[in-house]
Amino acid sequence: MDLYEVLGGRLDVIEEESEQQDFSRESSRMEGPTAGQDRVAQGARGALQRFSVGTNESLRFEPCDTPSPTGEDDGRDDVFKYTESENDVIRNKLQKKVAEMENFAGHLEEIFLTVEENFGRREQHLEQHYNDVLQTLSQRYDDRAAALQEEKKSKLEALYGQLLDCGRALDANKELIESAQEVHRCHDKRLFLKVCSLKFAKDNMDLTLSTSLEFNTPLSDLSDVKTMMDSINVVPAPSAPVINPQSPNSASQTSLHVCWSLFSDDTVEYYELYYRPVLEECSLSGSADSPVKETHCTVSDLLPNAQYELWVTATNTTGISPASEKALYMTVPSPPVLNQRGYMSCPESALIRWESGNTNPVDSYTVEISEVSSDGTEIAVPSCQCLVQLQSGRSYIISVRAVNIGGPSERSEGLTVITKGTYFSLLEETSHHCLCFSEDMLTISYGYEDPPISAMAFDDIGFTRCVAVLGDLIAVRGCHYWEVEVDDGTEYRVGVAYEDTDRNSYLGANTTSWCMRHILTPTRHKYEFLHNGWSPDLRITVNPVRIGVALDYDRGTLSFFNVDLSQHLHTFQCNFINYIHPCFGLDNPGELSIRNGIEAPKFTFI
Amino acid sequence: MASMKEVSSNKCAGGFQKVFEHESTELKCKMKFAVFLPRRTCLPWFCHVFLSLSGLTCTEQNFITKAGSQLGAAEHGLIIVAPDTSPRGCNIEGEDEGWDFGTGAGFYVDATEEPGRTTTACTRTSLDELPTLINANFPTDPERVSISGHSMGGHGALICALKNPGKYKSVSAFAPICNPVQCPWGQKAFSGYLGSDRSTWEAYDATVLAGSYSGPQLDILIDQGRDDQFLSASQLLPDNLIAVCSEKKIPVVFRLQPGYDHSYFFIYSFINDHIKHHAKFLNA
Repeated sequence: MDLYEVLGGRLDVIEEESEQQDFSRESSRMEGPTAGQDRVAQGARGALQRFSVGTNESLRFEPCDTPSPTGEDDGRDDVFKYTESENDVIRNKLQKKVAEMENFAGHLEEIFLTVEENFGRREQHLEQHYNDVLQTLSQRYDDRAAALQEEKKSKLEALYGQLLDCGRALDANKELIESAQEVHRCHDKRLFLKVCSLKFAKDNMDLTLSTSLEFNTPLSDLSDVKTMMDSINVVPAPSAPVINPQSPNSASQTSLHVCWSLFSDDTVEYYELYYRPVLEECSLSGSADSPVKETHCTVSDLLPNAQYELWVTATNTTGISPASEKALYMTVPSPPVLNQRGYMSCPESALIRWESGNTNPVDSYTVEISEVSSDGTEIAVPSCQCLVQLQSGRSYIISVRAVNIGGPSERSEGLTVITKGTYFSLLEETSHHCLCFSEDMLTISYGYEDPPISAMAFDDIGFTRCVAVLGDLIAVRGCHYWEVEVDDGTEYRVGVAYEDTDRNSYLGANTTSWCMRHILTPTRHKYEFLHNGWSPDLRITVNPVRIGVALDYDRGTLSFFNVDLSQHLHTFQCNFINYIHPCFGLDNPGELSIRNGIEAPKFTFI
Repeated sequence: MASMKEVSSNKCAGGFQKVFEHESTELKCKMKFAVFLPRRTCLPWFCHVFLSLSGLTCTEQNFITKAGSQLGAAEHGLIIVAPDTSPRGCNIEGEDEGWDFGTGAGFYVDATEEPGRTTTACTRTSLDELPTLINANFPTDPERVSISGHSMGGHGALICALKNPGKYKSVSAFAPICNPVQCPWGQKAFSGYLGSDRSTWEAYDATVLAGSYSGPQLDILIDQGRDDQFLSASQLLPDNLIAVCSEKKIPVVFRLQPGYDHSYFFIYSFINDHIKHHAKFLNA
């Protein structure tokens, strides 16, 4: 039910009626719909009736023969007749209007009830408005009523005064008639006429109504009331929505799920979400998604691990709300990249490394470890490497996720770690530029040809003189074992070195490295066990081709074996102060292969 | 069959260092031998035997008092048997003529010539009898015996191992006489015990035996003091053995230890390495 139409239409009616019948409106206000009107009508009628009913007859004199009185009476009669008919007309109109007013009031009630039913939530708002309107109206009413009262009072006084005058005139005329009759009885007609003419000459009653019966009813300016009533129907523009902070795990690598809520009981037709990436150079205004009706939205096609600023506006028929506060959301990072070869493992732990996979920093990483046939554990790590505790003799799959405020990324590609023996990979960046690596990174070779100059690395990490390479740091205490396969003709250096071993020096020539060295002389094979440039004097009759290297951090020993013969060759007593890297070098063109991730034979750790 | 009787017993390194005397009824002479019995607190209860042959002039006492082997033996659970180097008090003529012949210089040969025949026979026989004796009287694993020796004992250990392929699980030596047919000591002894036919000597020369060895793989550890006077006197000749072994692919690790001489101080310094060397095979 459109209140506007009903009331507006009716208001127009009121306007029209008010032109004519504010009198009746006023009375209806005062005394209720029907009763008062009757009374008024009656009153009015009564008031007039005193004149009309009574005066009709009382004013209608019995036709007398005197012409002038009759004529004057006639005039008076005419006047009264005229007044009476006018009063009738007015009364009829009043009655009609009264009836119409009754209708109108009834309608109003209906409308009000319906509004109450249908617009429960707007009640307060309407009540507010209505109160305002009522207040204004009642004020107007008061003003107008006061004015009307004044007018009525003055009119009544005037009429009453006239009444009194009429009454007096009547009495005077009665006396005159009597005296005229008396005079008529005497026989001096001339005297009668003289007296009469004298007496009748004066007192010309003015019998016109001193005041008009019409009330002065200026046009009531209710335009402002109309505006107020109009505004009830119009929904205000919504207030700014409240955008929620990012809820955990609601984002993906390329999308964000944004939620917001209405601040108050606004009516909203649709929302529009704006977003822009937070980049230092970028000052673009936000781009908008298509309008949504729900209080949430998913924005796609975003960059991973990027921060976005989001705000939302609400729109209804009236207009657009102000923008909500800007919220910062972040997409989930890209998954990290696990170093598939660059890890180190031993029976009880593994050291794994990865690259972030994102250009911008992430908050942290989660390392997920699971055995092949069971559920996994998770570890949260702030940096790009992690030493995880494992159990020996099992197979694990390790993967990493990058985490930021938006949530965790997808899982990285998994890394299979088998906790058997010690596994390490070669650190390519430490290698001498003449060394070449096999594809599985377990065989190194020193070729006959010189590599191109471009292969030379001008950094502090690679060996410059000794054609050697370091393996990954063995960063776990306890016993470790690996094997090296060589052939008779290869001159090699195999052993261990500290991380800071001199890259410009030869393995075994300093205090930071220990190695077994094979030298070919024209007459025989020579074996040295070098540390700080010194070696014990040893002869070995069978050339080892499979060398076992056994490291025991706790006892501080480094032992070498001929694995094929289970023959112990030599043991260094080292007392390592730091963790060491395995090291491998070639002194003449040739190659050597590394075998790791194998269990140490029994004879190696007695 | 010989019987044995305990001569002394001392608690040592948690076990017992005992000395026994056994009389070879055949040869009518007595020989002493020392036995170190380690304390066993866990399986296996049977111990492996490490036979240690001493050098010239030594008795069973030298090794057990000077070599410092008991702690290592206790750690690895080895029974160390150290026999005397020759019978004593047999009153054989000429037995005390020289320190390098006769008494205390059996050279572990089966002498064919008199008068050393009895002497050395005793030595050899006792060497053969000894394991049986040990196995019968002590908790041993008959399959696992290793042999080691110093100087002449080193020579003895080497030839025993080379002449008895598979009998000894491992062999080691301290400053052994590697090539007796080429050194004065050996020549003197062999000519006395075996006669002048050099071909009979070769049967007791480690270097020669190595040249024709064809048994199961050996693993020989030899320690030699660089400042050993006898090395420089060309009595020991390790290079000859190494050369042959290199050619024949007999695994040898030969260590030249700077500053060390021929004495028991040298043995004492490296006995643990030898015990470990043997333990590797005995306990495998």
